[in-house]
Amino acid sequence: MIKSKILYVAVLLFCLCACKHEKGEYHSLREKIEAEGKKYHGTDISSEAYIGDIETVVITEGDDTFLIPERKGQIKSYACTECHSKPLAGMQHTITGQRAHWDITLGHADENAMNCATCHNGNDMDNLNSLTGNTVDFNTSYRLCSQCHAPQFEDWKGGAHGKNIGGWARPRAAMTCVNCHDPHRPGIPSKWPVRFNTQKVRERE
Amino acid sequence: MVRDSLGYITHGSKPYHVWMIFLSAVMLVGMYCYSIQIEEGLSATGMTDRVSWGLYISNFTFLVGVAAAAVMLVMPTYVLHDIDFKHAVLIGEGLAVAALLMCLAFVVADMGGPSVLWHMIPGIGVFNFPSSMLAWDVIVLNGYLFINITIPLYILFRHYQGKEANPRVYIPGSILSVLWAVGIHLVTAFLYEGLQARPFWNNALLGPRFLASAFAAGPALIILVLAGIRSFTAFKIEDRTIKKIAMIVVVAAQINLIMLISELFKEFYAPTHHSESAYYLFFGLEGKTALLPWIWTAIPLNVLATILLTFHKLRNNPKVLYFCCFILFVAIWIEKGFGLIVPGFIPGPYGKIAEYTPTGVEIGVTLGIWAMGAFIFTMLAKTSIGIELGKLRYKKKSVRGSKTA
Amino acid sequence: MDGKKKWFTLDLGWNRKESDNSACGCGKSTGGCGSHSAPPRNDYSISAEEFDAAVEDTMAGEVQRDGFQQVFDVKMDRRTAFRKLTASLMVGAGAVGTSCSMVAGEETKEKAQIDWEEQFKGNYKLMTQEERQATVDRLVRSYQLRKKENIKMTATDASEDVLFGYAFNISKCQGYMDCVSACVKENNQDRNSEMQYIRIHEMKDGEGFKFNKADDNYYHEVPAEGHFYMGTQCFHCDNPPCVDVCPVEATWREKDGLVVIDYDWCIGCRYCMAACPYDGRRFNWSKPEVPEEEVNKNQHYLGNRMRKKGVMEKCTFCVQRSRSGKDPACVEACPTGARIFGNLLDPDSTIRWVLENKKVFRLKEDLGTEPKFWYFMD
Repeated sequence: MIKSKILYVAVLLFCLCACKHEKGEYHSLREKIEAEGKKYHGTDISSEAYIGDIETVVITEGDDTFLIPERKGQIKSYACTECHSKPLAGMQHTITGQRAHWDITLGHADENAMNCATCHNGNDMDNLNSLTGNTVDFNTSYRLCSQCHAPQFEDWKGGAHGKNIGGWARPRAAMTCVNCHDPHRPGIPSKWPVRFNTQKVRERE
Repeated sequence: MVRDSLGYITHGSKPYHVWMIFLSAVMLVGMYCYSIQIEEGLSATGMTDRVSWGLYISNFTFLVGVAAAAVMLVMPTYVLHDIDFKHAVLIGEGLAVAALLMCLAFVVADMGGPSVLWHMIPGIGVFNFPSSMLAWDVIVLNGYLFINITIPLYILFRHYQGKEANPRVYIPGSILSVLWAVGIHLVTAFLYEGLQARPFWNNALLGPRFLASAFAAGPALIILVLAGIRSFTAFKIEDRTIKKIAMIVVVAAQINLIMLISELFKEFYAPTHHSESAYYLFFGLEGKTALLPWIWTAIPLNVLATILLTFHKLRNNPKVLYFCCFILFVAIWIEKGFGLIVPGFIPGPYGKIAEYTPTGVEIGVTLGIWAMGAFIFTMLAKTSIGIELGKLRYKKKSVRGSKTA
Repeated sequence: MDGKKKWFTLDLGWNRKESDNSACGCGKSTGGCGSHSAPPRNDYSISAEEFDAAVEDTMAGEVQRDGFQQVFDVKMDRRTAFRKLTASLMVGAGAVGTSCSMVAGEETKEKAQIDWEEQFKGNYKLMTQEERQATVDRLVRSYQLRKKENIKMTATDASEDVLFGYAFNISKCQGYMDCVSACVKENNQDRNSEMQYIRIHEMKDGEGFKFNKADDNYYHEVPAEGHFYMGTQCFHCDNPPCVDVCPVEATWREKDGLVVIDYDWCIGCRYCMAACPYDGRRFNWSKPEVPEEEVNKNQHYLGNRMRKKGVMEKCTFCVQRSRSGKDPACVEACPTGARIFGNLLDPDSTIRWVLENKKVFRLKEDLGTEPKFWYFMD
C-alpha cells in the first residue's frame, strides 16, 4: 500500500517535471511553431475525400499550387458559341423578341472603368480576355479579377482571402473568385443572421 | 465515550430540544432543496455561464475564514499556557470543525457531479496536485479538519478518563495547526488570486485581507457563541477571556479596514478597465445595481463596529461588544461572500453584465448547511462542556465504546 | 475477510457472465459459470471476444488471489481496484439477487453493467489504447440500448507533426452567424439552454475593441452600417489557465494543441470557467437535450458525444472532424471565408501564410495564455 503510494507520488512528480520542462522549452508560441515546423515531415492525413463531388482543376500561381472548382461545367449554357454562332453585332439587331442575358445588369465598378467587353471578347465568346486582349480561360477567371484586385489576389493565393474547400490538410482546395462573387455584380447583399439566442436575453435582464 | 456522549447530547433542557428540533427541520428543508437540485441540475440555482459561482462558494470562502480563526485561540492556550483560553479553545476548535464540515458541504453542493467526487480522492482518482489550487485546498482543508478533530478529541478523552492531557503529545499538533490555519486561508485566497482572467481577484492584497477579515469574523463569532454558552450553561467563561478575544477582533478589524481603504484607493483613484468589477460592486454598472444594498450595508457596519470596538470603554461593555461582534460578523459575511465572489464574474470576460440572484432552492440548501453546522457545533460543544464540567466521565461500562471513538 | 473474498470472486463471475451470456440463471454464489456457450447475439457493436478480452485484461492477475490486501498489492490500475472494492461492497450489500435474477431482462442487466463500468472508469487521458476503445465501445452500445440508434464514435489520437491553429479575418466577417448554427448542430449542444460555443460581437467602427459596448446577440440585417464583427470561442491556448486549475485533470492540452475535456471525468466544479479569460467554456446547468433526429451521430469521445448534466464542455475545433483532415464546422459553414484553419507546423499551410504575411494579433496577449487563435484584417 505504502509502496504503491510512494510510487504514485514519484510518478506524479516525474510527470510534473516532464510537463514543466516541455512548457518551458520555448519562450513563446511563435518560437515553438518555428522550431517544431522545421522538423515537419508532413502528415498522412488527407483532405481529399472531403472535396466531395466538386470537379476541380489544379492551378499554380507563383509558389502556390492548389485546386479550384472547375468552372466551365458550372456555367448554364457553356459553350457560349452554341448560341453565339455569329458576330455580336448581328445578334444585337435581330428582332426575335427573345433577349438572352436579360437578367444580367452590370454592377461592377462604374461605366468608365468597365463594360462587357472588359472581360468578354465578342470575337471569341468561349474565352475571356484580359485588359491587354490576351485570352483567359473560363476556368482561370481569377486572372481577370487579379488585374485590378491585386491585393485580394495575393491574399487568396496565400489563403487569407476566400474559402477553403473540404479540409485543412493536403490537397489544398479553395473556392475561386466567381464561386462567391457574381462577376457582374460582385458586391454581396446584406441579409439576416441565421439565429437569435433568446436565453442570452433572459440571462442579461 | 461515544455512547456516553450520545446519551449526553440527547438529553437536555427544553430550549435545547427546541433548538435542535428547529435545526433538524431546517436541515430537512435543505435536503429537500438539494434533492431538487440533484434532480434538475444546477439550473435550479441562480448561477449561469456568466456568474458561475454564487452563494455556495461565497459561503465556502467565508467559512474557511471562520475555521482558520480558531487558531487565534489555540496558540496562547496550548503553547503559551494561558489558562484563560483553555475553555474557549475547545469551543473554538469545535467551531472550526463545524465550519470545515460546512465548507466541504458547500463545495459538494456546488459540484455538478457529486457522484464522481471520488475522482478527487488521491490514489483512486487523479489529483492535479501542485498545479491546481483547488487540489491544494482539498488537502489543506481535510488536513485541518483532521488536526482540529484529533487535538480536542485527545484532550477531551484524557479529561474524560479523569487524566491530564500530555502536552508533549498535543503541543506539536497545536503548532502545526497554527501554521496550517494560516495555510488554509492563504490557499483559499490563492484559489481566486491566481486567476489572471478575473482582475477583481487577481490582486496581491487578497490573501492578507482574507486573513485579516477571518481573524475579525471568526473570533467575533466565538465571542457570540461564548456569550450564548455563558447564559445557557453552567460552563464558566471569564470576562478576561472574552476581553482577550475581543482584542484580537479589534486588531484584525483595524488591519482589515486599512487594507480595504488601500484597495478602494487603488480601484478608484486611477481606475482602469480592471476596476469595473469594483465599480459594479459599489456603484453599479449600466443600471445593474443588485449588489449595492448589500455592500452599502456591509461597509458602514464594518466601519461602525471597528470604531466602536477601538474604544476600550465601549468594548468593555458586553452589550456593545456583542452588538459590534454581530454587525462585524454580518458585514464580513457580506463582504467576503457575496461582495467578493459575485463581482469577480461581473462584468464577464467580454464586458457583458449578467446579474446573479440566488434562487429559493439555493437559499434553502445554504440555510440547511448552516443549520447542519450549528447542529454539529451544538453537539460538539455540549459534549466538550460536559466533559470539562466533569459531568461526563469515564465509567467502566463504556470501555468498548471509547475504542471506536 | 473470508466473506468479502467470496463476494469479490462473485463479482468476477458476474462480469464474465454478463459478457458472454445473454441470460445467466445460474444461482451459484461463487465463481463464474465458466462453460456457458455463447448464444447467437443481436447486432452488438462490441464482439463478445473483444469484451471478454477487455474483461480478461482487467482481471488478469487477480483471479487467484484473495483478500483486499492482495488485491491492492498486485500491480494493477488503482481505479480498477477501487471499482472492484466498491463492486464487492455493493454485491455484498445485496446486489446478488438482482445480478443473478432471471427476472431482470438481459438488456437491463447489460445497461446496468455498462453504467457500472462507466461510473468507475478512469481518466481518459491516462487510459491505454485498449481502455479507450473499451469505453468508446461501451458508450456506443449504451446509446444503442437506450435510443435504438447506432452512432459512430471514434477515439482518434493526435497526429505527429500537427498543431492546430485558427485565424479570423475581422474585415471579412459579416455577422451572418452561420458558424454558430453549424457549430450547435455539429457539436450536439443543448437546445434548451441554447448553448453556443461561438459568440459574434458586433462592434462599432472607430471605437476599437470595446467588447462591453459590443452586441453579441443582435438580430437585424447584417452587416450593419458602421459596424464590424468579431467572433470568439475557445482559443485553445498553448498555455491554458483552465488546464492548470482543474483539480482532477479532466481537461488537458493534447499534442496537436487541442484543449479537450473528458466529460466523464469532470466533477463540475467550474473552476476552469472562472479561470478562462476568453469566455470559452460552457457548463451544462441541466440535462442537455437534443432532438433525436438532430443528433450528429458522427462523434468523438473528446468531442461532440452526448454530454450529461453537470459537466463542462467547449469548442474542440471539432476534434471529430479536424483529426481526420476535415475543417471544423464553423470554417465549413462560414460563407465569407473569414475563418481559416490549419496546421501551424506545416510551413506551406494557409494558416502559416496568414501568420507570416498579415498583421495578426490575439486577444489579451498580456495574460501569457498564448491562444492559437489569431485575428487579422485585410
